[in-house]
Amino acid sequence: MSAVVEVSHLTRRFGETTAVDDVSFSVQKNTIHGLLGRNGAGKTTLMQLLTGQDFATRGEIRIFGEHPVENSGVLKNVCFIKESQRYPDDFKPRHVFTSAPWFFPNWDAALAERLIADFRLPLNRRIKKLSRGQLSAIGVIVGLASRAPLTFFDEPYLGLDAVARQIFYDRLLEDFGEHPRTVILSTHLIDEVSNLLEHVLVIDEGKLLIDQDAETLRGSATTVVGTRQGVDSFVVGREVLHREGIGGLASVTVGRLTPQDRARATEMGLELSPVSLQQLVVRLTGSSQTALEQSA
Amino acid sequence: MSTLTQPTIDEARIDRPGGASNILAVVRLHLVNRYSVFAVPWMIMGGIFVVNVAIWWIIFSSISSEADRADARDGLEFSGALFYIFVYMLVLGIQAVAFTFPFALGFSVTRRDFWLGSALTFIGLSAVYSAGLTVLAAIEVATDGWGLGGSMFATFYFGGADASWIERFGLYFAAYLFFYFVGAAIATIYQRWRNNGMLVLFGTLALLLVAGIALASFTSSWPSVWAWFGSNGPSGVIAWSLVPTAIAAITGYFILRRATPKN
Amino acid sequence: MDDSRPIFVQIAELIENDIIAGALPEESQVPSTNEFAAFHRINPATAGKGVNVLVDDGILYKKRGIGMFVASGARDRLVAKRRDQFQNEFIAPLMVEAEKLGIGETQLIDMIRKEGTA
Repeated sequence: MSAVVEVSHLTRRFGETTAVDDVSFSVQKNTIHGLLGRNGAGKTTLMQLLTGQDFATRGEIRIFGEHPVENSGVLKNVCFIKESQRYPDDFKPRHVFTSAPWFFPNWDAALAERLIADFRLPLNRRIKKLSRGQLSAIGVIVGLASRAPLTFFDEPYLGLDAVARQIFYDRLLEDFGEHPRTVILSTHLIDEVSNLLEHVLVIDEGKLLIDQDAETLRGSATTVVGTRQGVDSFVVGREVLHREGIGGLASVTVGRLTPQDRARATEMGLELSPVSLQQLVVRLTGSSQTALEQSA
Repeated sequence: MSTLTQPTIDEARIDRPGGASNILAVVRLHLVNRYSVFAVPWMIMGGIFVVNVAIWWIIFSSISSEADRADARDGLEFSGALFYIFVYMLVLGIQAVAFTFPFALGFSVTRRDFWLGSALTFIGLSAVYSAGLTVLAAIEVATDGWGLGGSMFATFYFGGADASWIERFGLYFAAYLFFYFVGAAIATIYQRWRNNGMLVLFGTLALLLVAGIALASFTSSWPSVWAWFGSNGPSGVIAWSLVPTAIAAITGYFILRRATPKN
Repeated sequence: MDDSRPIFVQIAELIENDIIAGALPEESQVPSTNEFAAFHRINPATAGKGVNVLVDDGILYKKRGIGMFVASGARDRLVAKRRDQFQNEFIAPLMVEAEKLGIGETQLIDMIRKEGTA
């Protein structure tokens, strides 16, 4: 395995706000990474930095071992169609797909055509007049058909219906299987994609909260439900990620449990339920503040 | 880890020479919508032309005396109708940076290759459009103003009816380049500094204009200003526009080099 | 896929189930990791990890350049393994609970019989 993306102490400030805050991580070759976080967490800024579209305030970025900014050798191997991508005013989808092969050496026209049919994308309508979902479809098609060794998908499903999203996931897996490459998928529909991911990065308020193998993350947290007294005595000395309760009942999310822990919880009459990746991210990025206050 | 041997995507090839092929790709990107690049400008021109023909017809059919007729012909020499087409080019220059630039970055183009490719496109299109105008001007002169005595292409500003075709071509070419590059350069300021950039730009231009007027007035140098315009003539002034064009092309490049497309 | 356990473990179990049920006979070719990944909509690397668990256990074997096959004797070994698991995961706790409730051996056997005829 070798790192395609290496980032160390990356910071991006816009005036008073810090969009990306001292972030360090690396992305291994031929993996599907999930870049998860709330809106405004810094996902798009991070991807713009990685693709040389934005400039770091501090820190180092290496893409294929080199600086990405104004480096056409590196950028040729990168595809990043933003969620809010702008297109030339007079463009129709067909202009996008006609010109894409001039920029992406691995472009697969047959795949693009198949995807255009899958998404029922009208080729001869002005992009300005397309629906949100059709606009997203353009980005998805370019991202998949470009077969760039490093491909970014930024909230690729906005406006896509459930069927179209499933098509995207299926085609992504299929094409990834046949032509392995490094994919970074930014999304907040975590439940839908969690099984597709090999590695998970969670970013919140510009900071990297989780940089973890997806399989390790799976089952790394458990919710314990029961009487307040029982739950409290069980979670003593454990890392509490989240806590809520009504009346005499408490529901507390804790870190990884051993089989012995589980047996003990069952003996104590407590109920254990797994925490999905989405729930975990929500717990970590949503109410982390309240959880801290309550557990303090 | 796989059950079958898989064809893999070519390794990332960093050493791939960028340069010329990337710049050429940007040129092709600008031209990919043939309709709006080649058809629309001539359609606009056609529209302007039709309106002008109608005006000429109205003017000349309402005038009876020969002397008045000659007067009107002289007046039409100063027709500024053609400037509308240049304003359209200004808009195209702005759009190239406002829309095509963010898109090109999505297609992994460097800012350098984008600007050089755009410059090449502007130069090429200016040459093509100028050639078209030169031909139209020649026809206009040969047909004595489209048979009506009108004047739209071989106007005073582009050397008048007596100019050589090469002189006219050069003047059209310089005018096209000016509007393309100035439009594109203004748009780079927006890409880089957004609304603040626009405020500063137009504020500065207004200040410079006022300062220039004040300077000329206080030093009583208006006569020499007019003398400069007079000695250069409109053609000379257009030729001098190559200086601001070059400045726009160069500053636009450096401004864009640090610009980030945002929404 | 459930959230409490790693997906590769679950994939390995699914393939085992297919072998036990006879859906994947011995010496037959199993789908590729990519096919597993596409079918279960999971990451191919994860699917590969699940398949590799079975290769390491000798349940599946690789034929170079062709693909992955079910080893002969795999079904018997899986059934034996599952029987052990059954003993540990169902019978043992059953006995513990029965003892807690004072259910004697004959009574327990009767209850199992009754369940069988129902």
